[in-house]
Amino acid sequence: MSRRGWRNRGWVLFFLLPSAIPLVLFTAVPMVSSLWVSLHRWNLISPMEWVGVDNYTHLLRDPATRDVFAHTLLYCAGYLPLVFAGGLGLALLLNQRMPGRAFFRAAYFLPVVTSWVVVALVWKWLLNPNSGLVNSLLGALGAPQPGWWTDPAWALPAVILASAWKDLGFVMVIMLAGLQAIPQDVLEAARTDGAGAWQRFWRVTLPLLSPSTFFVVVISLINGFQVFDQVYVMTGGGPSGSSQVVVGQIYDLTFRYGRAGEASALSWILFAVILLITAVQVRGQRRWVHYA
Amino acid sequence: MPSLRTVLRWTAVVAGAAVMLVPFLWTVITSITPNGSLAGGPTLVVKDPTLAAYRELLDALPMWRIALNSFWIAAASTLFQLVTGSMAAYGFARLAFRGKGLVFGLYLATLMVPMQVLVVPLFIEMKTLNLQDTYLSLLAPSIASAFGVFLLRQAVESLPRDLDEAATIDGAGHLRVFTTIVLPLIRPALATVAVFAFMGSWNSFLWPLVVIRSPELMTLPLGLSTLQGQFTTDWDVVMAGSVFSILPIAVVYLFAQRHIIAGIAHTGIK
Amino acid sequence: MRSLVRRAAAPVVATLALALAACSQGSATRADEPVAGKTTVRYMNFSANDGHEKDLDAIKAAFESANPDITVQIETLPYADYFTKLQTAVAGGTAGDAFELNYENFVTYTANGSLAELKDVDAAPYKPSLLQAFQADGKQYGLPASFSNVVLFYNKDLFDAAGVAPPTASWTWADEQAAATKLTNKGKGVWGDYQPISFFEFYKALAQAGGEFLAPDRKSATFNSDAGRKAAQFLVGKAGRTMPTEAQGAGTPDFDSKLFKDGKLAMWHSGIWMFSGLADAKFDWDIAVEPGDTRKASAMFTNGTVVSAASKNQAAAQKWVTFLTSSDDMVKARLATSWELPPVADTGKVASYLTAGKPANRQAVFDSLDATVLPPVVERQQEMQDAVTKELSAAAAGRKDVATALTDAQKAVDKLLS
Repeated sequence: MSRRGWRNRGWVLFFLLPSAIPLVLFTAVPMVSSLWVSLHRWNLISPMEWVGVDNYTHLLRDPATRDVFAHTLLYCAGYLPLVFAGGLGLALLLNQRMPGRAFFRAAYFLPVVTSWVVVALVWKWLLNPNSGLVNSLLGALGAPQPGWWTDPAWALPAVILASAWKDLGFVMVIMLAGLQAIPQDVLEAARTDGAGAWQRFWRVTLPLLSPSTFFVVVISLINGFQVFDQVYVMTGGGPSGSSQVVVGQIYDLTFRYGRAGEASALSWILFAVILLITAVQVRGQRRWVHYA
Repeated sequence: MPSLRTVLRWTAVVAGAAVMLVPFLWTVITSITPNGSLAGGPTLVVKDPTLAAYRELLDALPMWRIALNSFWIAAASTLFQLVTGSMAAYGFARLAFRGKGLVFGLYLATLMVPMQVLVVPLFIEMKTLNLQDTYLSLLAPSIASAFGVFLLRQAVESLPRDLDEAATIDGAGHLRVFTTIVLPLIRPALATVAVFAFMGSWNSFLWPLVVIRSPELMTLPLGLSTLQGQFTTDWDVVMAGSVFSILPIAVVYLFAQRHIIAGIAHTGIK
Repeated sequence: MRSLVRRAAAPVVATLALALAACSQGSATRADEPVAGKTTVRYMNFSANDGHEKDLDAIKAAFESANPDITVQIETLPYADYFTKLQTAVAGGTAGDAFELNYENFVTYTANGSLAELKDVDAAPYKPSLLQAFQADGKQYGLPASFSNVVLFYNKDLFDAAGVAPPTASWTWADEQAAATKLTNKGKGVWGDYQPISFFEFYKALAQAGGEFLAPDRKSATFNSDAGRKAAQFLVGKAGRTMPTEAQGAGTPDFDSKLFKDGKLAMWHSGIWMFSGLADAKFDWDIAVEPGDTRKASAMFTNGTVVSAASKNQAAAQKWVTFLTSSDDMVKARLATSWELPPVADTGKVASYLTAGKPANRQAVFDSLDATVLPPVVERQQEMQDAVTKELSAAAAGRKDVATALTDAQKAVDKLLS
């Protein structure tokens, strides 16, 4: 290799090793271990038993696996548009000069840092089928009042609503940072060229936000597929397992049912799904993500 | 006379903010209500407010000690993630090397296995290295984070390369370009990563639960979990703990926010 | 470049120093190092959490002064997180020499050799039924540490106001239901009778109706019987009639205790661990033995202590758990703060419990011990509990009728037992 090649490799190592080494040691190694565990039967307290790919075949044949994946997919499909549109809207709203801007941004971010225990209870109260605010309003408007937490068809949508609401501040913060990076002169040029507010947004702002958008979509999906805390706290996977998600199942299998081998296998099936979806997005970014 | 549009916008913002504040306000109100409980929905009414719950909290737990522990761990995590993340972001965005896409993909892959599954193998690994029950073991999983690398990479990619080139022509090497040009320009993204890294570490529960045994290493979420009894819970004390826990992050966020807002005038290319 | 190195030197050295400090282990792990002449016994538990840590420390102090060559190191965790931590610790080899297990989890741990057999146990101080609960294959693998049971709490003032005679030890389900109906006043938000609809209440109600949960060979479930249906109907029928429904909040944390404490609940099936929480209630309340149907059966819960098979200090650990479960210091500490009941055979030792304050009828706690039912325990315990609770909740919410729910539950449990 040329001297330039060695130098380049040196720089690559210099910039990447500080993150690569911890990631390998403390994330990749346990990941590989969990892959090994997935080929065994293990209840954590006695030695592992080799079962080969039995866990995988058993899981792939089990209708419960299909159910939790379906629920998780539905969750993502509902959560992402809501949280993105809402977060972006908030960012646009709060990007303009207004008194108390910092206070409002902090207020919208507060739910993100509030524990799920409290937020869950607020939403359970809000969506109470009998006395909750939402159903009272719907009743006053003459609209049907869903059973929310008590209805297997509505428990997951309820979790989606609560999650999207809580994470609005997260998306808002990311988009605000992205909006800050848009040079003002580009927008000025568009304005002097006669572009209206909507056009400016659609043709200039949004494309220039695309790196942030890409980040939000990819991360929200990666996190969405691994949703756990809110489901655990709000519904525990019920009623009748209608809101159980993949990681909820993984947690139950590992720590409550003593089937850590299956849990690991399930997590690798999940990994494959997330990897596929992320790869599709990364491939597709060429079409819509504009970097400088 | 403000336009209708402005008035509507204002109403929406204020109403929205009020709604967003409800859970936090409810937390505070429950914490100052005698024998406060979370049953019966959020309330803004306080009868006989009292700080008894806070006194009980400070009696039950060495709150200052564990808050300090959590703080140091979170601050160290944040610092590490900023350093390792920004360096990797520069590497991915500005350096060319074979297999870059694959390596970045591997970075992202580390985000795709849930902590619930990694906890047991990681704990066994720590035990093998004889690092269990140490500060390092608490920090280890959060020294580097692909989340931060990803966000910062997007930020660096958005910077026009002209600036780099201008500096390179002037004789600057990668390190100088990184520290004097790139880093200052991605301040909003750095501040954002700082907030999430701090928050992630501050609220982390499952890993500290499993790896820590000694009381002097206890972190805030672990301490607060001991307030929940097997059969009943003193919700006012738990809520006092929650308030205690939220305030530092809110402060970190307010502080970081200034950097996120801080405008960047950087297109000095023309 | 050289100046960069010089500028970086100080922070790098500082970081290394910090890193080295960060590697040093906490006091608890350092105490594992063997010290000449002293043995350290590590004990993990959950029952001391949230109020009784000092009691456990007092027992530990008494033990250490009686055994100067043994130090006990206690780790107390909240119940909700205990088993996560315990299982991970066992998997990683850092579990204590001795630890606490509740009865429901005991079977799982004995089934795979993680417990050391306790030899030469003096059976005399223990209640025989409790000692037996912690045996497997005729060998003693644990010692009972405490027990508690479920009784019927009732609000005397509400009974007097409605002119209904309060519960007695001879009540049956029919009496309970009749009283509950009379005492429920939905307009005033007063409910007559609250009983959680879960696995734990079901197996007990099943026993009260004369049914059996598992077949004698424990290879199949037998609760889908007439007795089972009667028991399930008894429980499910209360939702919406004498107690709030799930939609109205039933089942959320502390919902029922708050309802009773606020004086809005006439009868409440709950455990004796609630006594101290109700000490300052603003109304007159008492307890009674739970009514039965064809027979009486009270749910009894017991926690035990075990010694880890991987422990290097098994003899010392056994000394500790023996002291913890049978010494007079332990009895004194428990009775002083109503920290569950000591598992002692000599009822004279617990005489002071009877006069320790509200409720007046504490004798009912001991009367309940005349007919107890322990939870049915299988290897896949948690899954079985979840399956039964899931079906019962569906029935309570009206999504399934009771017969279908029970059939589905039994099918699910049979699958787990196969």
